[in-house]
Amino acid sequence: MTTLTYPLSRIEGHARVVIDIHDNEVFRADFQAMEMRGFSHYVRGVPAEQITVIVPRICGVCSTAHQVASVKALEDVFGVVPPPLAEDIREVLLLGQLIQNQATSLFIFTMPDRVNASSLFELSRSEAGKARAFSLAQMALRIRKIGTDLISLAGGQFIHPIKTVIGGVTSGIPRVKADQLILTIEELLPVATDLLDIYWDLSMQMVDRIGSWGDDEPTHYLASTEANNYRLNSRRLRVMKPDGSEAPSFDPHEFEAYLQITESEYSYAGISSYLGHIMRANSLARVNLAESFGTPLADAYRERFVETFGKPAHAIMFFDLCRGIELVYALEKARQMLSGDLEHGETEIGYTPRDSTGFGLVEAPRGPLIHRYEVENGLIKSADFVIPTVHNMLAIRRALTVVAKRYVSHEGIDAELERAVGRVVRAFDPCIACATK
Amino acid sequence: MESSTDLPKFAVLQLSGCSGCEVSLLNSEEWINNFQLVYMPLVVTSNKIPNGVEVLLVTGGVRTDEDIHNLRKGRSRARKLIAVGTCALSGGVAQFKKNHIARESFLKASHRLRMPDMLPNAYPIDKFVEVDLYLPGCPPTPQLFMTALKDPEHAQIAPIVCQECGRKKLNDMRPKSITGSRSGVVLPDICLVNQGYVCLGTSTRGGCGALCTRPGHACVGCRGPANPYLNKEPKFVLDNLRRVFSRMTDIPAEEIDAALASPWLSLFLGQFTDYTQETDLPPRTKEKML
Repeated sequence: MTTLTYPLSRIEGHARVVIDIHDNEVFRADFQAMEMRGFSHYVRGVPAEQITVIVPRICGVCSTAHQVASVKALEDVFGVVPPPLAEDIREVLLLGQLIQNQATSLFIFTMPDRVNASSLFELSRSEAGKARAFSLAQMALRIRKIGTDLISLAGGQFIHPIKTVIGGVTSGIPRVKADQLILTIEELLPVATDLLDIYWDLSMQMVDRIGSWGDDEPTHYLASTEANNYRLNSRRLRVMKPDGSEAPSFDPHEFEAYLQITESEYSYAGISSYLGHIMRANSLARVNLAESFGTPLADAYRERFVETFGKPAHAIMFFDLCRGIELVYALEKARQMLSGDLEHGETEIGYTPRDSTGFGLVEAPRGPLIHRYEVENGLIKSADFVIPTVHNMLAIRRALTVVAKRYVSHEGIDAELERAVGRVVRAFDPCIACATK
Repeated sequence: MESSTDLPKFAVLQLSGCSGCEVSLLNSEEWINNFQLVYMPLVVTSNKIPNGVEVLLVTGGVRTDEDIHNLRKGRSRARKLIAVGTCALSGGVAQFKKNHIARESFLKASHRLRMPDMLPNAYPIDKFVEVDLYLPGCPPTPQLFMTALKDPEHAQIAPIVCQECGRKKLNDMRPKSITGSRSGVVLPDICLVNQGYVCLGTSTRGGCGALCTRPGHACVGCRGPANPYLNKEPKFVLDNLRRVFSRMTDIPAEEIDAALASPWLSLFLGQFTDYTQETDLPPRTKEKML
């Protein structure tokens, strides 16, 4: 048995791909998380109302999603419904996270794969290429920074935000600050579409070169955004079947009836299935489950995507293109929401703590995220974190097997395999810190 | 444009952490012009830290035996090593301290085949290697990252958070109990302690720009103790906090003690006061602390 081990870079956290080959046959391909965060252990016994400050530290990349999911779970425990203005400000916060994350995944993590570079900052060795790469890097980081600025504005902190509290948010968004950010978005929206066009072209060229968009076997898709409302501060989980029809939606408190989560012997991350089926979450799942974004530029890109690749579209590297479409959507939607009044009105209501079990759902950049807390005597008795990356584990494994079989033949192991493995994993944009909560 | 290969090389080694420090570093694009990033797995494909690194930033705590190995290798290849973030300085949120129930539950769940073994605790990195500069914060702001990379020797760091906060301390506003984390109405421009919030800004080192307290969120102490309390037993910083609350409020001492011991504050306060309990750590002088 030959075992190939590929440590991974340009993803969040420590992980590797292991491929076992025997007689030029791929025996097994696995994706393994090499660290364990273990938050479900640390938070036992913590006073319930303090957990919202602790759990964002599960992951600095996804801290916003964890903070909002955590607050929503406690609101469910205490039976409190935040005012509509607070829900809108949370949406702005989550849009900020979507912008930051999709820009990072597109430009920092996966753009280098399109040109076989080691990083965004070294896109090409030629001097001309360097100058272009340099400006690409600057532009990409400026787009990404809009997300950071939105998180700071709506969340009070650029990482591990603090403004979302049980019962609402601590304050509104002042008009003058909203207007400043609108100006920045208006200036950079054309830059973002230019970057997406470049990315789209480079992706087409890459696929011409390598001959495949990756594993395209039809599969189940999981998302909590609605067909005509891409709200990330979401309420219910939706499932698309491999043929494109929709299965019944479900509430976060019913998740155990639909999502089966098990541990792995070879990885610190768990594995989940939808009623025993392989499923996919993240951008492609949301786009497959959407009828429209409700913003003009993103809808134009979505139509182009559907016309070119179909609906549902199944190949894994479509995840990357869908992230680009979502980046444009989130910029447009943030501009739209900031144009409304987010300053005046009730942002927060009081509540009375009580013991109970509660569930909090948000659509994180990587898919539906659920926090479940059992509160007893005001303390966390048990906590569960249902992580989007875990929903993709079986799909990642299958896509790795497909790519390994493509590059392992009777002629031996093709040198392209290492790069191909990176492209497959990055298409899913896994987050290891979250997956090993 | 200067060729990037002439620029000083820097590398980022991430041990066990959340990537928040890396995200913060990426929020400053200034370094692109001034440094050449040669190793940072989050954004660069490179399997090892090359020789001749000028500055190595280490984030995350030491959680596995593999972390120790990577940390020692990294140290040997870098001229200067900077410990970045709460986890690298104290072990971080993954540090169990005296929580034996959590430790046992964690260790019991952490056995896997051919995976790095988890250590009994998460440790600060200076337990294993020499550190040239400490950059505390959860995470440090992008500005602090740039200061650490460019000119740490001449940095002017505010001694405590209050100095950058700008909220007024009043003599005639003495709360009788802790306001708690949920009462939303924060008065502008008035010290959060006067308003009954358990704000640790009076004893926490500045440099963060008071980015939590200015909009009205109590400081949780993520930058660690101010200079007078470095390398001191936990009681010194805790006593100072008690003094502040007895001078500025009428909140009963027991209520303050309970609040200071809560897991919410122990996220940072507990870590930074507890690390001094590790007997084999080198002293952290104020000259080495950014």
